[in-house]
Amino acid sequence: MRAKHLFSKVAVVAMIIGLFLAGCSSDDSNKSNNSEASSGDKVTIDIFQGKVEFKDQFEALAKQYEEKNPDVKINVKTVGGGTEYAPVLKSQFSSGDEPDIFNVTGPQDVIDYKKYLADMSDTEAAKAAIDGTLATVQDGDKILGLPFNQEGYGLIYNKRLFEEAGIKPEEILTFEDLEQAVEKLDSKKDELEIEAVFALPGKEAWVMGDHLANAFLAPEFDHDVMKAFESDTVKFERGKEMKRFLDLQNKYSVQPVLSLDYSQQVEEYFSLERVAMIQQGNWVYPSVEQMDPEVAENIGVLPIPVEGFEGSIPVGVPNYWAVNNNSDKEVVEASKKFLDWMYTSDEGKEAVLNELKFIPAYEGYDTEKISDPLSQDIYEYASEGKTIGWIFAGYPSNPWGTAVMGANAQQYLAGDMTWEELEKDAISKWEEKRK
Amino acid sequence: MKNRDVSFWLFLTPVLVALGLVVVVPLIYGTIYSFTDWNGLVATKFIGLENYTRLFSDELFLNSIWFTIKFSVVTVIILNVLGLGLAILVTRHIKTNNFLRTIFFMPNLIGGLILGFIWQFIFINVFGDIGKALGIEALTGWLSTTATGFWGLVILTCWQMAGYIMIIYIAYLQNIPKELEESAEIDGANSWQRFKSITFPLVAPAFTISMFLTLSNSFKIYDQNLSLTNGGPFQSTQMVAMEIVNTAFSANEMAYGQAKAVVFFVMVAAIALTQVYYNKKREVDL
Repeated sequence: MRAKHLFSKVAVVAMIIGLFLAGCSSDDSNKSNNSEASSGDKVTIDIFQGKVEFKDQFEALAKQYEEKNPDVKINVKTVGGGTEYAPVLKSQFSSGDEPDIFNVTGPQDVIDYKKYLADMSDTEAAKAAIDGTLATVQDGDKILGLPFNQEGYGLIYNKRLFEEAGIKPEEILTFEDLEQAVEKLDSKKDELEIEAVFALPGKEAWVMGDHLANAFLAPEFDHDVMKAFESDTVKFERGKEMKRFLDLQNKYSVQPVLSLDYSQQVEEYFSLERVAMIQQGNWVYPSVEQMDPEVAENIGVLPIPVEGFEGSIPVGVPNYWAVNNNSDKEVVEASKKFLDWMYTSDEGKEAVLNELKFIPAYEGYDTEKISDPLSQDIYEYASEGKTIGWIFAGYPSNPWGTAVMGANAQQYLAGDMTWEELEKDAISKWEEKRK
Repeated sequence: MKNRDVSFWLFLTPVLVALGLVVVVPLIYGTIYSFTDWNGLVATKFIGLENYTRLFSDELFLNSIWFTIKFSVVTVIILNVLGLGLAILVTRHIKTNNFLRTIFFMPNLIGGLILGFIWQFIFINVFGDIGKALGIEALTGWLSTTATGFWGLVILTCWQMAGYIMIIYIAYLQNIPKELEESAEIDGANSWQRFKSITFPLVAPAFTISMFLTLSNSFKIYDQNLSLTNGGPFQSTQMVAMEIVNTAFSANEMAYGQAKAVVFFVMVAAIALTQVYYNKKREVDL
């Protein structure tokens, strides 16, 4: 009797454990099916990417490629929003579930993932890449990644408001020009029905720490991201200019700046024409367009005035595609082919411009077809070589840009820190990291 | 405990396995990694206590601990007072009892991230607009100073968790025998005396539980912190959990972050255990 009792208990427990294990194993069986398929007639490429904004368009592009190449299957997995991507990618690699195509962002990533990065120098896309866009991913003769696109930033301005105030944007080159224009706009605030000239998002450490500082630090490193990455120190040669420009934005901004964030800056203030100018990049275009298509048609980008580099704007590559060296040979080949197709075939180019709405980082694109006025402006600056380096990917990874420079700038704006203290602290933290 | 035979262990095994896999093993691995230079992909060498010694001169980390302690003390007090207060309120015979209970409990059902964003809107836009309309300077620019960021977090957390704590107190309040209260009343005790000498000692076990919950919760807060202030301005409202995540993932120092996490774990465990031990001692049985 007792034995029977025990038996029934054991049976129940065995069943529970069985269910538990079955739940775990179903995943595995799927996977083995996949790899069987890839070793057979179909090649499966697993893409793991971090740009949420173009998730749907990119998936459609992959579908399009699959239709043309029935022997290739592409799985796209997107994890998004800047800082989210890096840790998930890392855990994927350390768990052994490695993607075939993934993203690297800066020199530190290239070093960390070096043993996984396949040489891409034999691809068409690498040959077509615009000069300078490959600096971060070059290792001797090897090219370890392909640029996504270019991005640029400056002072995005509202053309209608400038016109009504009688200001000619093309005449604004030096800091003095800008100051005059700002004062003029400020004096006509009521007529123009704006609240202030700028909306400075003091809440976003990256706007000041990464972008603003980048414009004034780039000349110090000869506009070369690798020089910044290898530098033991930062000198703030143009610290005074940086302060001057930040002060100007702060003085004529919607207050209080420290509680103003990115979405308020772009959507509430700029898109609704409550301010005339914001310091941002071409990525704001879709938001502005969503808020008010009419305003979006009427915006342009002004350079941040850096002495000696007037009329230039910071342009750079925020992200690179990398192919996993560890994958099967045919998968590596297929991955390269896909990226080549995406950036150099006619269909691919079409999609890059119209669907992904990129500013291409490759030669051979019809610039007229670039989707929005901001991107067109920036592509023009880039193709004329009027650029300031995009070096903040070479900052020490504290991350120095946001956690040190950005936070210090916030303290400066709050009045808790003088500019001298800001520089001193930023320099010592840079050096500390590079020891 | 005679029933600990084979089946007892068999039934327990799946849970123990799961717990081991997701809690114990990572804890052991993490502790090991904290003694190396692990960067998330490879650990090349064993560096001993270096990560730990570094941590005690890390201003940001120490600041975040101090901020978290201040935050925890304030929220634990407010939450328990508020929770008990609400519980007493809804165990009175008011008509809208059940309705009120639902209302008070509701915030607890909303995820921390969403709550953070909602309150961000309230603090910045609603407070700001009211402040502008009425000319009250203090209401504009919330979350842009350390002090308002701190109170913003306190308000958010209390608003979210008070209903949950209330439920715990309700359970204990309803278990207090009516006769006790009645006889005390007949003996001439006023309502404050009844509360102090009957209600309060008898809900002591609830104190143990809710103190533990609120304490460990406010130490571990991450999502509310992330969505409400994101540590800003200038990382002054950054709590320990967030500081650890930033060290590991933004600064790309996995092993160092891991060392911080180990210290954090020991700290929270020590505080929580001490608290439970002392509260347990003060509990009375009927």
